[in-house]
Amino acid sequence: MGVRDGLEQGEPDVPGSNRPRELAIAEGPADRAPSPALDEPRSKGEVYAEHRQRADGGWEPRLYEASRSELGRFNPERAGLPQMSLDAAADYVAQHRAARPWLAIADTASPEARRIIAALDAGGGHGHIRHEGWVTEEASMRRAAYREDPAQLDPAKRSQGIDGLKAGNRPHRCGEFATRVTDTDAFATAFVRGVEHPEARAVLDMPFDSDRWPGELTVPITELLGAEGHQYCTGWQLEAVGGSIEAARENRAAWLRARTGSQDSDALEPSARPVPTFEGGDMLFVVGQNRTQDGYEIATMYPRPPRAGH
Amino acid sequence: MSPLYWERHPNGPFATLIRVATTYCSPDADEEAYEGLKRLAKRENDEEMRVFKAELREVLQDPGRLPNNELSESVEYDDGSDEAFLRRLWHDLYGDEPLDDAT
Repeated sequence: MGVRDGLEQGEPDVPGSNRPRELAIAEGPADRAPSPALDEPRSKGEVYAEHRQRADGGWEPRLYEASRSELGRFNPERAGLPQMSLDAAADYVAQHRAARPWLAIADTASPEARRIIAALDAGGGHGHIRHEGWVTEEASMRRAAYREDPAQLDPAKRSQGIDGLKAGNRPHRCGEFATRVTDTDAFATAFVRGVEHPEARAVLDMPFDSDRWPGELTVPITELLGAEGHQYCTGWQLEAVGGSIEAARENRAAWLRARTGSQDSDALEPSARPVPTFEGGDMLFVVGQNRTQDGYEIATMYPRPPRAGH
Repeated sequence: MSPLYWERHPNGPFATLIRVATTYCSPDADEEAYEGLKRLAKRENDEEMRVFKAELREVLQDPGRLPNNELSESVEYDDGSDEAFLRRLWHDLYGDEPLDDAT
């Protein structure tokens, strides 16, 4: 039974298996992570990243109260995804969770949100893999700083910046931000509402052209998750180098080439900091070609903070 | 306010260039998308690509005309500068075709 099942049946608000770990973090100064308790199952890096996200990003873990009837009505085919019943979703998660560990987060979701996560996983998109609750703050931090792919399950390859979802040991790519929606029901809600947004429909319903990718569109977070929707978003931002984010990206690429031994470099070790707020931000949808290359689907979805200075 | 330049300024300068470059070259675009762009660039009767090429040609002759930081924020290239990214893009799509060829 997941957290949402219990809530729906009127049981106490008992956190799921991943919740106590987040809630157990002690308060403390921003520049020092608390020492993990003896029974602390997380690494120091995870404790440090979560602590910084709380202190500098103002984040507190919270459950999003989704409209389960709305999620239940969603037809995955509207997003170019396979049909999925509640039972089929539970079976899918049980069958694939060992090889696809990001599915474990579905245990904390409502059955309706779990259905959507399972449909997404059976499709070709990766938003639920890199930008959703299973990704830890440390993983997001390291993705922004070092281009380590949370979807890469081989630690050696992850540290080399190798993409976890592409064949052929291709380099993982990440821009200035690595962000996520921290609650699975909030992620599912943003997805189903985004799919029905007129701008998204316009591109999802475009006639298919094998050479053409529809690209990106945005919807304000408030339109998808309400006025407090930004509180379900966290992210990390690559630190500028010499005041320049262009220089920081170039430096990160050079540092990674040196790390992988493909090129000598005196690049600085990159670093990242928590996004201070997502209030006023948007949800970005990237629409691409589906696996069968006969239509378009949402390749990924993630929150973007408001533009600096705007 | 949208982080996407072409959503904020659909008729702004170089809106097509920035939108197409973002779609096919940003970290969210994979190698297959970039190969798709190369094929699109060869289409002679594609209006979007005609505008894209004209804007790319124009901005390479004076990169300072790009709206401030918009290309960099959208494409998030690793090339270090707008001009370096755009020159690589031109070479990948149009090879040695001269920039001042107005035909």
